[in-house]
Amino acid sequence: MKPSHFKGKEALEHVIEARQKGFAASAEVHGTELPGHYNAAADAAKETSLILTILWTLSVSHQLSLFFLCGWLVWKVGRSAILGWSRLERLHRLIEEERWEIEHHRTQERAELTALYAAKGFSGKLLEEVIDVLMSDDNRLLQVMLEEELGLTLGVYEHPLKQAAGASIGVAGAGLIMSFGLFFLPSWGPALCSGLIIALCSGTSAQLERNKVAPAIIWNLAVAALAALSAYLVAKAAV
Amino acid sequence: MKTPFVFDEFFASGQEESISPFLTKDSKKWGKNLGLRSACSAGCFLALAFGFSFVNQPISFLFLSLVYFFAGVPALLGSLKDIKNLEINIDVLMTLAAFIAVVIGSGLEGALLLVLFELSHGIEENVSRKAKSALHNLNYLAPKFAHVIGENGTLFEKAVREIGVGVQLLVKNGEIVPLDAKVIGGTSSVNLVHLTGESLPVPKTVGDELPAGARNLEAALHLEVLRTSSDSTLARIIQLITQAQEAKPRLQRWLDRFGKRYASTVIGLTLLFACALPFLWSIPFSGAEGSIYRALAFLIAASPCALIIATPTAYLSAISACARSGILLKGGITLDALASCSQIAFDKTGTLTTGELTCTAMEPLDLNALSLAYGLERQVVHPIATAICKLAVKKECLPAPIRGFRAIPGTGVEGVSEEGVVLCIGIPDTLAEKKPGELLALLTVGEKRFLFRFSDQLRKEAPALLQQLKTHPITPLILTGDRLENALPLGQSLGIATIFADLRPEDKLAKVAALSDQGGLAMVGDGINDAPALARATVGISMGKIGSATAVDASDVVLLNDDLSLLPWLFAKAHQTRAIVKQNLTLALVVICFATTPALLGLIPIWTAVLLHEGGTLLVGLNSLRLLKR
Repeated sequence: MKPSHFKGKEALEHVIEARQKGFAASAEVHGTELPGHYNAAADAAKETSLILTILWTLSVSHQLSLFFLCGWLVWKVGRSAILGWSRLERLHRLIEEERWEIEHHRTQERAELTALYAAKGFSGKLLEEVIDVLMSDDNRLLQVMLEEELGLTLGVYEHPLKQAAGASIGVAGAGLIMSFGLFFLPSWGPALCSGLIIALCSGTSAQLERNKVAPAIIWNLAVAALAALSAYLVAKAAV
Repeated sequence: MKTPFVFDEFFASGQEESISPFLTKDSKKWGKNLGLRSACSAGCFLALAFGFSFVNQPISFLFLSLVYFFAGVPALLGSLKDIKNLEINIDVLMTLAAFIAVVIGSGLEGALLLVLFELSHGIEENVSRKAKSALHNLNYLAPKFAHVIGENGTLFEKAVREIGVGVQLLVKNGEIVPLDAKVIGGTSSVNLVHLTGESLPVPKTVGDELPAGARNLEAALHLEVLRTSSDSTLARIIQLITQAQEAKPRLQRWLDRFGKRYASTVIGLTLLFACALPFLWSIPFSGAEGSIYRALAFLIAASPCALIIATPTAYLSAISACARSGILLKGGITLDALASCSQIAFDKTGTLTTGELTCTAMEPLDLNALSLAYGLERQVVHPIATAICKLAVKKECLPAPIRGFRAIPGTGVEGVSEEGVVLCIGIPDTLAEKKPGELLALLTVGEKRFLFRFSDQLRKEAPALLQQLKTHPITPLILTGDRLENALPLGQSLGIATIFADLRPEDKLAKVAALSDQGGLAMVGDGINDAPALARATVGISMGKIGSATAVDASDVVLLNDDLSLLPWLFAKAHQTRAIVKQNLTLALVVICFATTPALLGLIPIWTAVLLHEGGTLLVGLNSLRLLKR
């Protein structure tokens, strides 16, 4: 067995390390949420509403806020797409590396599979047969290694442009709702709408992540309120 | 149940994101033709920027910045990559000119350069994408795993690449032989048509060798592996195709070389003019009349817009006309190559012939006996059986009921009629009556005997095609893997004097290489055995319907409806395209000379130079559109 592949580690340790690599490659920073167009939209809507609320509390003119929103929209859309492409590039690099491993280090890949399936409770002749079946087809083997070794899931990610479209809907939607709030209830409408948007988006994201909805909404609202208040009070103190 | 992913296509495409295994099914369409879509968006924004430039300057600039974002950023990235590789080419020149145009206040002109540049790249990328997976389909044909017979007689699947010499395999009816092997048990017949061009099923029994890729038609065969996957027949064909593609003369090289020289010269001259003009004409370095401004105006005027679209627009118009006629061209440069061909080589089986076994005669013709044969053969999947069934349908016979049907692999089929007469169809003992290129089958009905004759039929359009080709300065010849005795009658009936037969894929490749080097050679073929030759020929032409996916991938031209009669039209179109490309290049160079010289001398302002420049581009585009006519 070539030490260059496992770098002095046991097969199972190598698998654990590979799985961490897989998680790092598939993760993406969009707040704390999972990647995808829904989450990109929710994240963009929350950030937009909070920033517009801060601008409103600081009495920045509506016109300036609108100009800011245009630039902000482009930034959020572009950033979301870039993050998506960056993630896709990392995933494609991983799949290429794994394919290379399968082609050039079959013995080591067999050892990794054996370690993985032994950890699942397979042993003896059955383990050997399972490994033989998995090793008999490279396509199947690559899929198994991606899913079992690297912990990746195939066919679940959204295209970066679709994600960016989600972000654009989030910014535009939040901007529109905030404008309605400002138009109908100038004194407290923006704050109310902002709270509403943040609550709705946090709740949806939590549900998609299968997290608890109520704590997510309350925590997000609290952080947003703290952020807006901080900006307002610091500005007051400075003036 | 989860469907397993097939990663081969993804890797063969160069990890194209529109088929990324990580993306959801719905999401994949977002990644299709991104380059072209981005260029089209940039084109729309440019139109808006131009429109708003008369009404509202800031809005016009906003749209202009979007053009630079969608078309400029990809161009800039590409150019930086070229510069990193120490390559100064047309792409670098265009990008430089487009960005310098902003500096000297001609952003719209720069944006136009970028849009044209990105559009031509996007279209080119789209056209050539299909050719990327040349070997992908061959990998589909090669089985990934085989049924290995274990020590205790048990069967288990094993990856082909892990199977060594001497291992025993079982290949069932209908399966493809995974590795080159020797028959050690069983009798069957195999189809080698895609591998060798042999159209008739070949009987195989103990002791016979079988190449990887052959399809087992009848009973299960017990095989012993003779060569590992890396040395197998299919692996050798893959290697031959790769070599042939690399060795293929690339006419694009001339354009690339020209582009590099042109770009280096223009950039060099720009620097020279910026530095030297003040000393020659006593003009300042800076200012609207200064040498730097004039040098930059020269750079923009010399950016080869018309030159860049001179070839792709002509080729794309011709490609479009061809597509409407049922011909798929993988890149415009193929048309230029076609125009240079002085010989055309045809594969025999599947190209000049239909590639299907046809029952040409039943001797003596007896409809009752044919009905009995139909009853027997409809229970079998075999080319002979299919041909007999087709003849029976043609003669409007119904299948007679048969009892006690039994297929004897490698020998034939037998059964009993309703009246209790023993029936048998098999290969006749004596081959005295057999003509060249024919296959015989004998039907025995009790004491009566009937002979069926089979052969691969000539395509209907083939004689007319050969007649039409005589009006072109092109010599036809036949290259086939089939035996000379089978090819000779066909050549004689079509008036083709030069026939090369008994060619293995490597022989065919060597012959095609030699003929291509003598003068351009267009090769028409359909089988996997033709693929290396199709890739190596000056132009490879494959049959879209009957052709193997590998041959289609390896070729430059695909006749989508297998209609050979289109070939003379295609040659005429290729000559017309070459003439129009020449006209376009001349026109583009003349326009560039007319635009750059007055700009350099300061006789005309930069916008006039650009206008002249774009006028030339328009003329070139319009000239190309003439090729759209069918």
